[in-house]
Amino acid sequence: MMQRLLPFLSLIVLFVALAIASPHFLTETNLSSVVRQTAVINIMSLGMTIIIIAGGIDLSVGAMLAMSGVLGTMAMVAGLPVPAGILVGVVTGFLWGVVNGFLTTRLRIAPFIVTLGTLGIIRGATLIITNGLPVHGLPRSFSFLGAGSLLGAPFVLWVVVVCALATHVILEYTRLGRYAFAIGSNEDAAVYAGVPVAFHTTAVYALGGLLTGLAGMIEASRLMTGQPSAGNGYELQAIAAVVIGGGSLHGGEGSVIGTLIGALIMGLLSNGSDLLGISPYLQQAIIGGVIILAVTVDELRKRRGGAEA
Amino acid sequence: MLLDLSGIQKRFSGVTALRDGNLSVAAGEVHLLLGENGAGKSTLMKIVAGIERRDGGRMLWQDREAAFASPAEAAAAGIAMVHQESPLAPHLSIAENIFLGREERLPFGWANRRRMIEKASLLIARHRFPLRAHWQVDRLSPAEKQLVGICRAIQHGSSLLIFDEPTASLSGAETEEVFRIVRGLRERGMGVIYITHRLDELRAIGDRVTILRDGATVHCGPLAEITTERIIQHMVGREIVSIYQRQPLAPGAELLRVEGLTRRGVLQDVSFAARTGEIVGLAGLIGAGRTETCRAIFGVDPIDSGRLFVAGRAVRIRSPREAVAAGIALVTEDRQRTGLALRLPIAYNITMTDLGAVSRRGLLSNGKQARVTADYIARLRIRAASGRQAAGRLSGGNQQKVAIAKWLFRHARVFLFDEPTRGIDVGAKAEVFQLMDALAREGAAILMVSSEMQELLQVADRILVMRQGRIAGELPRNTTQEEIMRCAALAPEAAS
Repeated sequence: MMQRLLPFLSLIVLFVALAIASPHFLTETNLSSVVRQTAVINIMSLGMTIIIIAGGIDLSVGAMLAMSGVLGTMAMVAGLPVPAGILVGVVTGFLWGVVNGFLTTRLRIAPFIVTLGTLGIIRGATLIITNGLPVHGLPRSFSFLGAGSLLGAPFVLWVVVVCALATHVILEYTRLGRYAFAIGSNEDAAVYAGVPVAFHTTAVYALGGLLTGLAGMIEASRLMTGQPSAGNGYELQAIAAVVIGGGSLHGGEGSVIGTLIGALIMGLLSNGSDLLGISPYLQQAIIGGVIILAVTVDELRKRRGGAEA
Repeated sequence: MLLDLSGIQKRFSGVTALRDGNLSVAAGEVHLLLGENGAGKSTLMKIVAGIERRDGGRMLWQDREAAFASPAEAAAAGIAMVHQESPLAPHLSIAENIFLGREERLPFGWANRRRMIEKASLLIARHRFPLRAHWQVDRLSPAEKQLVGICRAIQHGSSLLIFDEPTASLSGAETEEVFRIVRGLRERGMGVIYITHRLDELRAIGDRVTILRDGATVHCGPLAEITTERIIQHMVGREIVSIYQRQPLAPGAELLRVEGLTRRGVLQDVSFAARTGEIVGLAGLIGAGRTETCRAIFGVDPIDSGRLFVAGRAVRIRSPREAVAAGIALVTEDRQRTGLALRLPIAYNITMTDLGAVSRRGLLSNGKQARVTADYIARLRIRAASGRQAAGRLSGGNQQKVAIAKWLFRHARVFLFDEPTRGIDVGAKAEVFQLMDALAREGAAILMVSSEMQELLQVADRILVMRQGRIAGELPRNTTQEEIMRCAALAPEAAS
């Protein structure tokens, strides 16, 4: 039990330490900027949580985020209303998720390879579509998604909360979530139990894509451009958030609350480094070290647990 | 004598595997080692090959007291075991595999590849093996891989070779090839211990025979002086105390009918029926097609032809999903791999087959799920702390009960039990039998695959015997182990 709480305790320790170390940390401006900065990774890692629980992985989410942002903003520039543009971005992510799911289940290619391939395809296609140039001239009201406030808190905070609750309900209270655990824990046993494994695996990737598409629109709104190079390396941050939060790359383990804590730990590490004047180059190394530390602790816990396969 | 074992004993955590193992092999002799599953053949051979250490008894190797602490020590002394699935490096060549770990060294760690190929080719030619030294191992058939294992043993200067059921997975022609090679080894003055379950191939190859039963040697002598009937009697034993005997009931309507099930090279025209209230046993040797029959009915493996009827209606089953929908359940032989999601809670495992039944308004209900799980834990007497415990933390018997519970929860009507008592203790076995009996009484039709003939006699209403992918015969419930063995192990012409 102690070890299961470890990510949460680390988060609190980190929070308190930063509050003591920097007078600027506990200010409203700073905290709301942490929320805005981490929202994109947060939402992406929610989708990644379900994918990893189902024993998969999606390396293409960074590229997917860029294409969603670009297509969504292009739709707005072409005259579609803002909500419709956002929907275009979300649907883009969803469809790429379906493609990833289809390729892994029907062609039986390992998801690591499939999504490594689609990562290249999506990124390349995005650059071709935009000629490598950002999409400009967005309607002013679009900025509300990334920069607006509602009920005294950043609007994106509410988006994150709604997405997190929805993902939690899906994982714990629906067929899709339960099958994700079953497939990730033992795919053969799931097949033998009559679970429609291919359909639900595809659905899991589609859901991950949908959330990534939404994250792409938030990113575009924050930047007020559609950037074809957006989201570079975000897939690793999303995977790291899941793993720090107790998700297992062997599948069958993970939780929404764990992932949120994992994403927050990474967000605070990066914010704290900024406040304390630590070089951004060193930040990357610190986050890398934390990932290895988190997985090591998790593996030790499991090994000591024994008995489990 | 090359090898002389007397009074060998071995216990595994309280269970006696061997209490009086005796065996002697001379150079230039093929010695057959026979016995039922669990009689102690493998344990005895593992002690000889240094994989296990004996608890008591004497072992003389080339007339000197010996005890091998590891397979490497036994190999150095000249004893090698050829496994059914020889452990080879698949991406290396045959020559590299033969010399693996004993390469001809050149300075700076270079291996002398050309000389290695030359020496391997010489060895292969001398024994007239149908191999080429440069072939890559992962392209070889199982029989050819065994030959590579034999080459390795010869190259390493072995004078005793142990074959553990070398022909179990081989075709007729490949079996002949193995026989030819074993005879060749004998002519070269090597000793061979040969374990087999196929009684019809004994005479083609053996000189003397040792029979084990319940961990003790019950017979040893020249093969020419014993009839196959006597061998079977020795293997099975005279007095068998039965712990559980099911009272059969009058079977009802036909629930499952299988017609002409065929999967090329695996199953040939398998036809049978099972009625409600009936437990049909399925006996046969390893590789006879029993598990494959279950897999074909359950839609795991595609079939080339054949028809299935459930409760009189023709059903097409192309996936386990369709089998489950048709009311068929498969309790697999391998709980760890195909039966349970070990890292998930008991509750998840039981309810996985029918989530709709634990849902309320489209969402899973924790309350319903907890009630259902608690109910099955109580009814099946699953020893678990709670339904939230990971299935992998349970003992084998309790894991099996969870694997059965998930099909009870699904209300399946046709049950395929594949080795339902594998790896579970005696007490749990009786409980599993009682469960099967209760299922039959509630109207299920059951097909039970088992390698333990005694169990089939205890539980089944009638016993189908498979041999090489076909149903070789059907025996009534009051048959004997001798009869089953004869039907399973002897070719029709030999049986008559």
